[in-house]
Amino acid sequence: MTTAPELAYMPISELSGKIQKKDISPVEITQAMLARIDELEPQLHAFNIVFKDEVLVAARDAEAEIQRGDYRGPLHGVPIGIKDIYECGPTTCGSQALENYVAEEDCTSVAKLKEAGALILGKTATYEFAYGFPTNQSYYKPTHNPWNLARDAGGSSSGTAASTAAGMAYAGMGSCTGGSIRWPAQCCGIVGLKATYGRVSRAGVYPLSWSLDHTGPLTRTVTDAALMLQGCAGYDPLDPASANIPVPDFTAKLGRDITGIRIGLLRSIYEDDCDPKLLGPYHEAVKKFGNLGAEIVDVPSITLTQLQAIEWPGLFAECATIHVDNIRNCGDKYNPHAKLFAAYGLLVSGTQYLMGAQVRAQVRDDLLNALDKKVDVLMLPTSGFQINPIADESPGLSIVSSDFSVYTPIFNFTGLPAIQVPCGFDSDGLPVGFQIAGKPFDEQTICQVAYAYEQAAEWHTQHPEL
Amino acid sequence: MDKKAIIAAKLAEWELKLTDAELDQLVVPYENLLRWQGIVEGMLKSRTLVAGMRMPESEPLLIHALDRVDTAFDKTGGA
Repeated sequence: MTTAPELAYMPISELSGKIQKKDISPVEITQAMLARIDELEPQLHAFNIVFKDEVLVAARDAEAEIQRGDYRGPLHGVPIGIKDIYECGPTTCGSQALENYVAEEDCTSVAKLKEAGALILGKTATYEFAYGFPTNQSYYKPTHNPWNLARDAGGSSSGTAASTAAGMAYAGMGSCTGGSIRWPAQCCGIVGLKATYGRVSRAGVYPLSWSLDHTGPLTRTVTDAALMLQGCAGYDPLDPASANIPVPDFTAKLGRDITGIRIGLLRSIYEDDCDPKLLGPYHEAVKKFGNLGAEIVDVPSITLTQLQAIEWPGLFAECATIHVDNIRNCGDKYNPHAKLFAAYGLLVSGTQYLMGAQVRAQVRDDLLNALDKKVDVLMLPTSGFQINPIADESPGLSIVSSDFSVYTPIFNFTGLPAIQVPCGFDSDGLPVGFQIAGKPFDEQTICQVAYAYEQAAEWHTQHPEL
Repeated sequence: MDKKAIIAAKLAEWELKLTDAELDQLVVPYENLLRWQGIVEGMLKSRTLVAGMRMPESEPLLIHALDRVDTAFDKTGGA
């Protein structure tokens, strides 16, 4: 007999077997998820909208298909959440400016996930337009962290991270321009997978910065991340950056021994400023990789300050290109700091932007050389500071300060695939994680390495008490 | 000209007028932007000119675009 919490926290990899064998029905699962959302949503605010009626219709259709033998695969009949910047029904982007916008059709990745049989529970909360932190004053209220309700869930894919961590969805889709998949995944103690630039379509997903934007899944296990990526990856002519290359089986290397795998630590980015509370669990994870037979080596790279100097001017210049007309005409509908971030992008000169693009290529080539000649994967913490308490008032432009030590953007501006994996908790009980990055389009290997750690450490079996 | 006035002037070029309090919040981030400009320039200069002479990031997109259009172009360079 499966209990309600066991069902809520069951990995997709296990749930899908039960669905395929008809031991459990998609309708039963969906009803359980909707009940859990009803129970926990007042505490967490993880969803902007829940598609109660539509998802039950889809669940009944999935059940009928499976009953007649038309099983589509591991996502068939599995309820998931979609970040509210993906076009799929009402799409607010977490902004009053778009509160009444309803998409006419599904974006490519949602269409692919539906085709794979996934059931869409609703639209998950997001930082405004994927960059403007919500506060208690915001039109759309902030998502609370399931591990500590006074804290933010991280972002910008805050609702997807919190709902997946809290067992209100089996997984969800996020987007990532500077770390908005991996960082909230760390804050909520789950897995976040940003595949290679070009691997997953962004068509129909509201852009923040087109040269840095990625889309991808947040899940509770590495296997589930691979399964979700399988459901949404692939060439899409509607996305100008989409890569027309074959999609492999992302689960193919899971469970393979990692003895002899060379892991390169990017110490120069995090060693000087990472909070020791987060560094402790990270060092334990590095040690565990050594115990698993991996070879740990150092890879010289850039500093955090250099990372910030490359990432933020380019991101906000592109952001301003997208939002300039809106902030002129309806800036009062934005969070005050979201409006200012867009204005900030207008201060970036053309030369600054293009110099940043040149240096991006330098860093990318350095990492490609290291991955070609010296190591198989790269490793570093996901962030160097604890997630903050939810703010009562506008936090100002805190992202563009030297204190904002997220280490994720290096894999946005180089485009390399990266996965965040939980590695325990700090002394305040908040989740800590690290990133594994790899060669372009080699998501199989980063999943292999992440899976080996996950299975040895078993942090994925712990869930928040709600 | 102080930083706040520079910011206001730059934004005015975009027909964007902010309040005094809003402009105040942009001063420190703008100073960071100038600091980062020096850092990025230093990184660029740290390489030899030849190694630094790469195509802009946007350049390959043209090639990708040719793969996507129902093409009248001959990508091998023929007529």
